[in-house]
Amino acid sequence: MLKILIPTLMLIPAIWLSPAKWIWQMTTMNGLLIATASLIWMKKPWDTGWSFLSPYLGTDSLSSPLLVLSCWLLPLMVMASQNHMTSEPIPRQRLYITIMVILHSLLILAFGATELLMFYLMFEATLIPTLFLITRWGNQTERLTAGTYFLFYTLAGSLPLLVALLMLQNDTGTLSMLILPYTQPLTHSNWGSGFWWTACLLAFLVKMPLYGIHLWLPKAHVEAPVAGSMVLAAVLLKLGGYGMMRILVILGPLTKELAYPFMVLALWGLIMTAAICLRQTDLKSLIAYSSVGHMGLVVAGILIQTTWGFSGALTLMIAHGLTSSALFCLANTNYERTHTRTMVLARGLQAALPLMGLWWFIASVANLALPPLPNFVAEVSIIMSLWNWSWWTIFLTGTGTLITAGYSLYMFLMTQRGPIPSHILPLPPSHTREHLLIALHLLPLLLLTLKPSLIWGWC
Amino acid sequence: MLTRLLRFGPAVPRLISSQPVRFVSRSKPTGAAGSAAVTDLHAPVDQGGHAEADPYVKNRDFHGFSSDPEVDEWNMRTAFFCGISVALVFGGFFLAYLPDHTSWVRREAERVIVEREKAGLPLIDPDYYDSSKIILPTAGEE
Repeated sequence: MLKILIPTLMLIPAIWLSPAKWIWQMTTMNGLLIATASLIWMKKPWDTGWSFLSPYLGTDSLSSPLLVLSCWLLPLMVMASQNHMTSEPIPRQRLYITIMVILHSLLILAFGATELLMFYLMFEATLIPTLFLITRWGNQTERLTAGTYFLFYTLAGSLPLLVALLMLQNDTGTLSMLILPYTQPLTHSNWGSGFWWTACLLAFLVKMPLYGIHLWLPKAHVEAPVAGSMVLAAVLLKLGGYGMMRILVILGPLTKELAYPFMVLALWGLIMTAAICLRQTDLKSLIAYSSVGHMGLVVAGILIQTTWGFSGALTLMIAHGLTSSALFCLANTNYERTHTRTMVLARGLQAALPLMGLWWFIASVANLALPPLPNFVAEVSIIMSLWNWSWWTIFLTGTGTLITAGYSLYMFLMTQRGPIPSHILPLPPSHTREHLLIALHLLPLLLLTLKPSLIWGWC
Repeated sequence: MLTRLLRFGPAVPRLISSQPVRFVSRSKPTGAAGSAAVTDLHAPVDQGGHAEADPYVKNRDFHGFSSDPEVDEWNMRTAFFCGISVALVFGGFFLAYLPDHTSWVRREAERVIVEREKAGLPLIDPDYYDSSKIILPTAGEE
């Protein structure tokens, strides 16, 4: 565990001691090497057990794909930010990368935590660097509101979680994820237990986000700079999903009765956010709402607590992380050229930037879950598991998937096809950096098609 | 009303299209040698000296990493090498050839069961650790 964590933390002195012109190159290179080293976490002696254990940290089949995703994303964030940060003074550039590295270290500690309270602390701690990224380096005035919504939605959801965890520590004497599966499950169905159950899950439902408490997400994703949007969409949402999967182990049979309202919200949210996407004029907002929809499917997959549900949820989290991050990078390439997020103002780009059009195409079809990509594998697992749970859900998931395909295609057609607006000044050609960035998002996704068992989890 | 379909571009039948068609060459008919010049689709806009500096003027091989050509070149090389050759190729090789423990576990269990049944031993020991090696403190001590 420390083999990856120490080099990541050592990036911080390296950033501040490097010569000014080499900071970005150095961080990218070292980030990629650390990401390669992090692949060791995918080697498991057995499927369900814990590996790389230390008193506080460890990995298992659920956390190792998310850890690798986080490690992979750091150099990608650095590469994505390189261009728009050139106008900033050098110490501020160093600070920006330092904040990204701190966020990344906290994410490693969060996903690697073996104790629920440590996971909670790291979960909360990731809010601060993200808040800095959004409110300090966002481009519009709305970034302040976005930061407020982001911080206070998550805090309001997670304070009950703190109380619930402390109560659990008091009752069972431990909060270790290795031991909690073997404690007595919660069997009472009085009001107090119901509140405790909700308190445990609320923080993660806000983080996912569940439709209904999702308002922070479009604001935060849109106002954040590209690195902030990438890490939010790809990893921070998955903290919620991961937390839910860990905490459900101890929530006992109570989940079978109490999960209904959240299931309904999740599946209804899939349809509603997909419909909202069809009406969006802001490209980043469209991608943000699409994240809400996909995460609604993940929430539903987790709450039914079946093997395929969990497996589909984890696979969708990883696949969506790569896809959504790629889409935000693509939106940023548009934004850096046209300085607008409005889709009608930056249309027909396939004629001007054809190779970028290819990346747009692959990212869009990944978003609509085209087989044989892991997005498809995941969505179908969840949908089939939901069908088994209640066959009425097929109407909701079917409609949601249909509209998802609709808006993904809409996004592709709006940005790539059609006439180039006459007001756009000649567009600079795509940079090698941008092509490499999107390729490093989409190539792992395509490679995962060949071995999805890496991201299935316990199955 | 049908003109609303125009937003989807030249795919719409030309009958209802009122836009000038774009796929007809606008270059002047030239002599046998032909001219390589292409007519601009949009007339160049005069930005009055406020245009963004084009990085390709200073560095023809601008890769998007840095305005310094040497840093740009090296950043591109290390990013591609570490990202593609090391991470995707070598890392992908590592992941592809990870041992598959699910089938091994099954086969090993079947093998051990056959072996133990032949030797007449119990299939599994109920104690995970050897109980003789566990040293417990005596009742009087703390």
